[in-house]
Amino acid sequence: MNNHMIISVMSKDRPGIIADITGAIFKLGGDLADLNQTVLCGYLTMILSVSFDPEVTKEDVVAAVSHIKSPCKFEVSIKETGDDPPPGDPPEETYILTVQGPNRAGIVHGISSFCYLHNINITDLVTTLKNNLYIMALQLDLRGCDISLDLLRRELDDYAQAGDLTVVLQHNDIFAATHEISLR
Amino acid sequence: MLRSDQILATVEMIHKENLDVRTVTMGLNLLDCRGGDIDATCARVRDKIVTYAGNFVPTCNTMSRKYGIPVVNKRIAVTPMALVGAGFSREEFVRLAITLDEAATAVGVDILGGFSAQVEKGMTATDREYIASIPAALAATEKVCASINIASTAKGINMDALAMMGRTVKDLAEQTAAQGGFGAAKFVVFCNQPGDNPFMAGAIHGVEEAEAVLNIGVSGPGVIARALERMIRNHPAPGTLQLDELAEEIKQTTFRVTRCGELIGRAVSLSLGIEFGVVDLSLAPTPTIGDSVGEIFKILGVDAIGAPGSTAILAMLNDAVKKGGIFASKTVGGLSGAFIPVMEDAMLADAVGQGSLCLEKLEAMTCVCSVGLDMIAIPGSVDADTISAIIADEMALGVINGKTTAARIIPVPGKEAGEMVNFGGLFGASPIMPIRNVGKSSRFIAWGGRMPAPVHSFKN
Repeated sequence: MNNHMIISVMSKDRPGIIADITGAIFKLGGDLADLNQTVLCGYLTMILSVSFDPEVTKEDVVAAVSHIKSPCKFEVSIKETGDDPPPGDPPEETYILTVQGPNRAGIVHGISSFCYLHNINITDLVTTLKNNLYIMALQLDLRGCDISLDLLRRELDDYAQAGDLTVVLQHNDIFAATHEISLR
Repeated sequence: MLRSDQILATVEMIHKENLDVRTVTMGLNLLDCRGGDIDATCARVRDKIVTYAGNFVPTCNTMSRKYGIPVVNKRIAVTPMALVGAGFSREEFVRLAITLDEAATAVGVDILGGFSAQVEKGMTATDREYIASIPAALAATEKVCASINIASTAKGINMDALAMMGRTVKDLAEQTAAQGGFGAAKFVVFCNQPGDNPFMAGAIHGVEEAEAVLNIGVSGPGVIARALERMIRNHPAPGTLQLDELAEEIKQTTFRVTRCGELIGRAVSLSLGIEFGVVDLSLAPTPTIGDSVGEIFKILGVDAIGAPGSTAILAMLNDAVKKGGIFASKTVGGLSGAFIPVMEDAMLADAVGQGSLCLEKLEAMTCVCSVGLDMIAIPGSVDADTISAIIADEMALGVINGKTTAARIIPVPGKEAGEMVNFGGLFGASPIMPIRNVGKSSRFIAWGGRMPAPVHSFKN
């Protein structure tokens, strides 16, 4: 099995969506390696990593999903990546950046632009709004970062000060160590 | 997948509650450094320390930057030098101490422990020379700490050595009178001294240890204090929070704190290629505001440190810290318990000034925690035998209870009870504690010999 695809699905949320989608994949003989889904404002979005037999095409998958009987339409997008999926463990240079500050427009854009400027890849991101405090946690891959860690911390400090934000960069292992039983 | 609540809890712990790694201590065996004479021995000692620890401080700093967690102290502990210097005179032991000091400076560590001996059953001629060298050795050095084990549950108390301790402490203080007797702050007397303790002044690299190991001391009491405050704040209604829930909070916080120490320790160990030893779970306070064990007494419900209830609180704190830490670490060791070093803990020092904390209460508290009567400034006029007798009581607690106890007492030359002494930095400041019944224990100390091991030591 070496025809690996990334499948993205969006729909109005209702019970049974995951069962329907994974059922269609199962019927095509797909091996589901990973799935991530979230619901925001009543809409579900899901991204799946699936490996199929070589003869299964992208169009077969689209057809299988479109044949699902559902009151609301699925918006499906598929990318064929070819060979097996990359290993799931985050690289050694994975860091968690937390950003907190009063809610205002442009916080996410600002910090993501900062990351882009330094060729830092954002691999995960969650945001929360609580009592007008906007909180962001970003998982970053610093492998391609164009400056040293020390300099990055200094630039983040300057960025935080300029934007009245609290910005903290910590290694991913710290969070694993404090919240998981086994220590890698 | 990211969980923002978990991430924020950890971020808060590190940045608002001052989580750090208190110490990474490299233990180093120096037994193979004995040369034909003192010059050859000193050269070998220097070479071995520089060889093994040359990259130690930069590596700790690199890991500290990588993980964003400060490593406050980088230290070295060596084989008890009375063994390394077998056959040397007191003057030669002073030269050994100076060599250790120079090597510690060369590799950039904060402090070095292990100018030590273990004499719980008897003393050799070398041990006596070593003891005689302590005052001059510590007065001539900056980074060297000395310790001596004079008692154990298995062997009882060496009363001959004990009698020498009072005099040694007095001499140390007098030789450093210009610094308020600071030399005595670098010398600690032990019962059941562990060979893998990363904390000073009592760190040694026991003869049972490997060639070189790294031992870790986890963060201080501030993290625990802030976690307790937050929990109490979140339960404002009377009756909604009980002591067992507070103990649980201490346990869980200690788990997270210990994990960070373990992570850094393993990373430094891997990078240097030196075996990872233990995590010592002790809560070690500093004079910094918000980093006090004393503060935890007040948070948990006594209005004055030393008031009835204080011993019970310390017992619970010590136990909860161990329960949280033991599961978090692959190997736990050292002292592993809350410290109550009076001068190093601003709130304990205040309690001495206010008269709520006295020597006898501290002694009772040391029954339920580690390590003992620590960093207590007493009047310089207290005689040597009384100091030996204070140490004897503390040793007896360790012998009978099968635990580590220690005494680090500073008779401040020329000062009396109520006056202040200030050593600055991590050693802190304190009012001088009044001592009752001075000069009434000399006949007891004069017996010498040995206090026999207790009946429960005969387990074979």
